[in-house]
Amino acid sequence: MSFWEYLGNRHQQLLTDAFQHASAVFQCMVIATVLGVLIGVVSYRSGWGSSVAITSTATVLTIPSLAAIGLLIPLVGLGVAPTVITLTLYGLLPIVRNSIVGLRGVDPSLVDAAKGIGMSRITRLRKVELPLAWPPILTGIRVSTQMLMGIAAIAAYASGPGLGNEIFRGIASLGSANAINSVLAGTLGIVILALLFDAAYVLLGRLTIPRGIRV
Amino acid sequence: MSNDSPSGPRSPRNAPASDRDRPPGEHDVKGLAFHDEEEEPSPPPAGRPRRFTWRKLVVVPAALAVVLVITYVWITNVELDSIAENSLAGDTVQLRWWQHVRLTAISTFWVLIIAIPLGIALTRRGLSKAAPVVTAIANIGQATPAIGLLALLVIWLGIGPSTAITGMVIYAVLPVLSNTVAGLKAIEPTLVEASRGIGMSAMGTLRKVELPLAVPLILAGVRTALVLNVGTATLATFGGGGGLGDLITSGIQTQRMPVLVLGSVLTVVLALLVDWLASLVEVALTPRGLEVGQ
Repeated sequence: MSFWEYLGNRHQQLLTDAFQHASAVFQCMVIATVLGVLIGVVSYRSGWGSSVAITSTATVLTIPSLAAIGLLIPLVGLGVAPTVITLTLYGLLPIVRNSIVGLRGVDPSLVDAAKGIGMSRITRLRKVELPLAWPPILTGIRVSTQMLMGIAAIAAYASGPGLGNEIFRGIASLGSANAINSVLAGTLGIVILALLFDAAYVLLGRLTIPRGIRV
Repeated sequence: MSNDSPSGPRSPRNAPASDRDRPPGEHDVKGLAFHDEEEEPSPPPAGRPRRFTWRKLVVVPAALAVVLVITYVWITNVELDSIAENSLAGDTVQLRWWQHVRLTAISTFWVLIIAIPLGIALTRRGLSKAAPVVTAIANIGQATPAIGLLALLVIWLGIGPSTAITGMVIYAVLPVLSNTVAGLKAIEPTLVEASRGIGMSAMGTLRKVELPLAVPLILAGVRTALVLNVGTATLATFGGGGGLGDLITSGIQTQRMPVLVLGSVLTVVLALLVDWLASLVEVALTPRGLEVGQ
């Protein structure tokens, strides 16, 4: 069976897998972004706090994802739970680091001015600091998403959802005619999803980065 | 320092006779005492910050040792059935550990051999036009999942450690390459011009000016490659390459949690250990002049 015939025959399954892959990564990215920016906001003002935040998230990133999944299985079982936890944890690092860097990079005189015209701490954060720190945070989100695409593929080994299942099906049936089709479909599918997400982020950047600080 | 040098203008030996009765840094002009003001702040060499602080040297290995001891005590006391015992029998665990180390070391070696010269070549004048193409390929490569790449290689090259190493090298070359290119490109062009201007050859400029200045970024790339390779080496098991991934996958397949946890813990310990060693190397090899002040 040629690759195109394979795609034609299995398109239902492949589309389901692709959708689940994208949706798992997307949902985990939303959680990771909210948590990451929150950690950044809480810790960026104290040197100690932000170094703890960055060191601990960097340590998580050093751990191979298969080992992280392996450590989670005894605690939460197989399937969706370890996938979601792993993806969220790994997605955090670039976002936490970039929100701390971004928030620290905001010109203090602007924050002072905002304080001077009577903005509260929350309003300052919402109207001045976060919009100015948004471009680096968005970069962090892009980097995270690309990484999670690959990790989600590995999570399929622990019965997680997504295109990784195609790859592992191919590995399990090495030597059979469809092995290469299955692996190729899974791998190319993930590459395409990653590029689509990246394009979406570029668009999101055009729409959400304040006009005044666009480069 | 300047006090020991015999030619130093203010060393007591060649100072005017009347200065010899005064404390260093004080001069006698027509009976009045004058202080050298610029001598007062002590020069940096005495107070150079130490490169290796105790915290940097001790915390990580101590924490990892504690984790290993706890795991050892737990694994020797937990009830193992015959399947779990089989997976850990003899020196399987040591074998897998050393396979993992070997996979990581060999692939990192090849990554450096390929990526650093290629990065240097891409920043030379003749090839600099190819750089954007390589960056584009690198970006697509980064979107490729490691497991997919490895699976394709296994189908193409067959099962075995060399397939796993090939995959790891392909996967880790890109970050080191882009770090090398970025490091060399970030060098102030006037410095290169100046060194050419004083008569250094292109090779001499590269060796004495450009490479030392790019060292921090290149080393950061090497550290990234090491950490990536420790991680990708866990996937070698899917290509018959062995390594600690074997313990993890057999633990998942046979549903034996002790095997799974032991494999995972050892992988985590190895990854953090490698990252720690790489960070020490990074500190040791960075040229003194480029150190960022604390």
